[in-house]
Amino acid sequence: MSGTRVAVVGAGMTRFMRRAQETGKELAWEAARAALDSCELTLADVDAVCLTSAPDAFDGVHMKGEYLSDGAGGFGKPFIRTYVGGGSGVFTAIQGWYTVASGMFDVALLVAEEKMSSTQPHPQGAFLTIFDNILERPLGPNLLWIFALEMNRYMSAYGLDKRDIASVAVKNKRNAAGHPAALLGQADITVDDVLASEVLAWPVQRLDVSPISDGAVAVVVASEEAAKRITDRPVWIEGVGWNLDTTYWTNRDLVYPEYVENAARMAYDMAGVKEPRRQIHVAEPYDPFDYKELHHLEGLLLFEKGKAPEAARDGVLDREGDLPSCPSGGLLGVGNPIAAAGLMKIAELFWQLRGEAGARQVPGTPERGVAQAWGDLMQVGTVVVMGNDGGPPKTAAGLPVVQTPPYTAGGHPLSDGGFRSALGAVDHRLGARYSWDAGVAVGRFLDGLRAGKILGRECRRCERVLVPPRMFCERCFRETDGWIEVEHTGTVQTYSICHVSWDMQPLDPPEMPAVISIDGSDGGFLHMLGEVDPDGVRIGMDVEAVWKPVGERAGSILDIDHFRPRRQS
Amino acid sequence: MREKVARPDEVRRWPGDFPVAHRYTPGLAGDAFLTALRDRGAILGSRCERCAYTYVPTRLFCERCFAELDAGVELGPEGTLVSFTIGFVGLEGEPLDRPVTLGLVRLDGADAVLLHHVLDPGDEPLEIGERVAVVLRAPEERTGSILDILGFAVAEAESD
Repeated sequence: MSGTRVAVVGAGMTRFMRRAQETGKELAWEAARAALDSCELTLADVDAVCLTSAPDAFDGVHMKGEYLSDGAGGFGKPFIRTYVGGGSGVFTAIQGWYTVASGMFDVALLVAEEKMSSTQPHPQGAFLTIFDNILERPLGPNLLWIFALEMNRYMSAYGLDKRDIASVAVKNKRNAAGHPAALLGQADITVDDVLASEVLAWPVQRLDVSPISDGAVAVVVASEEAAKRITDRPVWIEGVGWNLDTTYWTNRDLVYPEYVENAARMAYDMAGVKEPRRQIHVAEPYDPFDYKELHHLEGLLLFEKGKAPEAARDGVLDREGDLPSCPSGGLLGVGNPIAAAGLMKIAELFWQLRGEAGARQVPGTPERGVAQAWGDLMQVGTVVVMGNDGGPPKTAAGLPVVQTPPYTAGGHPLSDGGFRSALGAVDHRLGARYSWDAGVAVGRFLDGLRAGKILGRECRRCERVLVPPRMFCERCFRETDGWIEVEHTGTVQTYSICHVSWDMQPLDPPEMPAVISIDGSDGGFLHMLGEVDPDGVRIGMDVEAVWKPVGERAGSILDIDHFRPRRQS
Repeated sequence: MREKVARPDEVRRWPGDFPVAHRYTPGLAGDAFLTALRDRGAILGSRCERCAYTYVPTRLFCERCFAELDAGVELGPEGTLVSFTIGFVGLEGEPLDRPVTLGLVRLDGADAVLLHHVLDPGDEPLEIGERVAVVLRAPEERTGSILDILGFAVAEAESD
């Protein structure tokens, strides 16, 4: 790997809050200033600024990068915002790495901000348009669906016990109890509390999920030469990796995050890590849901497939365990201001590897850690390996220098009442309306549905029949070869029993979204199950399409009313 | 791969919207600005002594040097018109019954400029560099909004 070595030399964060009184800019500034203060730099020492923030729809500010640039320190400097959904926070460290490794800049300030509380009535609504506008959105999807569908598939494939998965939520909320910036730290929470919490979209329950939050995190990175000038304890970025899976999420087996493994292998190769389980001493995998931490630990090659849950159960992942995982408290405990939460993981490794994590410090002298985040349409993996070249330097007295981060946990929480009655608050409804072209492949697919047919496209080189159809194969990048009518039947690849609507309003009876693998194809799509009791649904169940009457069909995914258990023919 | 569209009206399209709403709160610096505007009719700014620059409205921090700032400077009520435009069409391109004049004004004491309406410019053409003054809503009608300022009016020439 060419270029200079790059180190993290400073970090800071705000409190993570359900609602912050500060604007997004003010949050960004609080975190950025804390990070600069931590390494005794000023804005004048910064050569370039890298910003990240998740969808503009959260803050309700179009071009959020430009909006936040002053708070991030971007005035008059080379500045750019990157964005890969939930993977953004860790990606910003990757961006910071190549910004400095290129040799163009000596010191870069990395800032991640999220203000989710602006979205009304619920931030879930901002996720509505990440689904396919024509094939998925008419079904009324809630973001929770994709997590519930993936979690159910994961549990089913390995016969996992929900108690083992819930133990991750318990661990992280307990870890966060020692974090001055945490929103949901709780020292006395138990697995039974998690299992007794409200069912949102089975198997996802309220306490399986990280909380909506406002907050910001900032990190300072520097070239080797600059780093050694700034601090005697730089923490090196040893490896970076990132990878994206297909956007056709209903065509993937959701059991295992291959894109995380791909990103991890890239980062490990660069870092010279050959035995991750032995060479990684502390991990900060992405944990927006408890099962995701386990899923990601497997993708990071730290546990065999399906084996992370028992490690959680047996305490291996505890702060004092053999492989501490999310000692920060993670998203489940500290909070989940999305992009900021990812960069918090980089900050936590920095503090852990300097022996500065205070009440959260893992025992021993960890020398290397891995941080990972995940996002887009559950398809991106971002991975960073950090190390301290053999342990934090000791002071003259032979003891590590201990400072309890965050240096400042700035930020003023705003109560619900304070938010509702805030002076000068402005309510605005985005009036944007769209007309989405179905395009060539989906247009023909919709015509097929109106005629009572399910159509796919064949890729002869990859020997796949693509459903939903596309005019090109995203694997071999060739034009697909022709249309094929596939069956009206399929199997339930995974399903959820969902009790909330897209904007988190209660649903009674619940809905049963499912990914249906369509017979005669290598794909499938999202649809609803019906004519079946929720208790009677099983993964692998044979189902068949129930069509709307011909006169009611409109050339829509809803021309299939639902899928029901297949009847003997 | 390309399919010829013979009947453009039959191209399949799917109408949709983005049904999210937002509630924006003014933040720490904005709260100070709007409170003073509502309660005292004062326009506050923030001065960074190091950068010798006065922001308006108030800011929590100086974007140039990152220093923390307070809302300690009162600006105006008069200022200088730095630029203006006259809008004849609305958001959707529809003609407006009455043109709207918007001005950028550097209030006395400020370095940054403030955007607001220019009220009833009358028949005399506006001129860049002209002196203008803030026109406020009546105290009892103020709510803590940028609209507590009605706009700027051309200042009366000082009598000799």
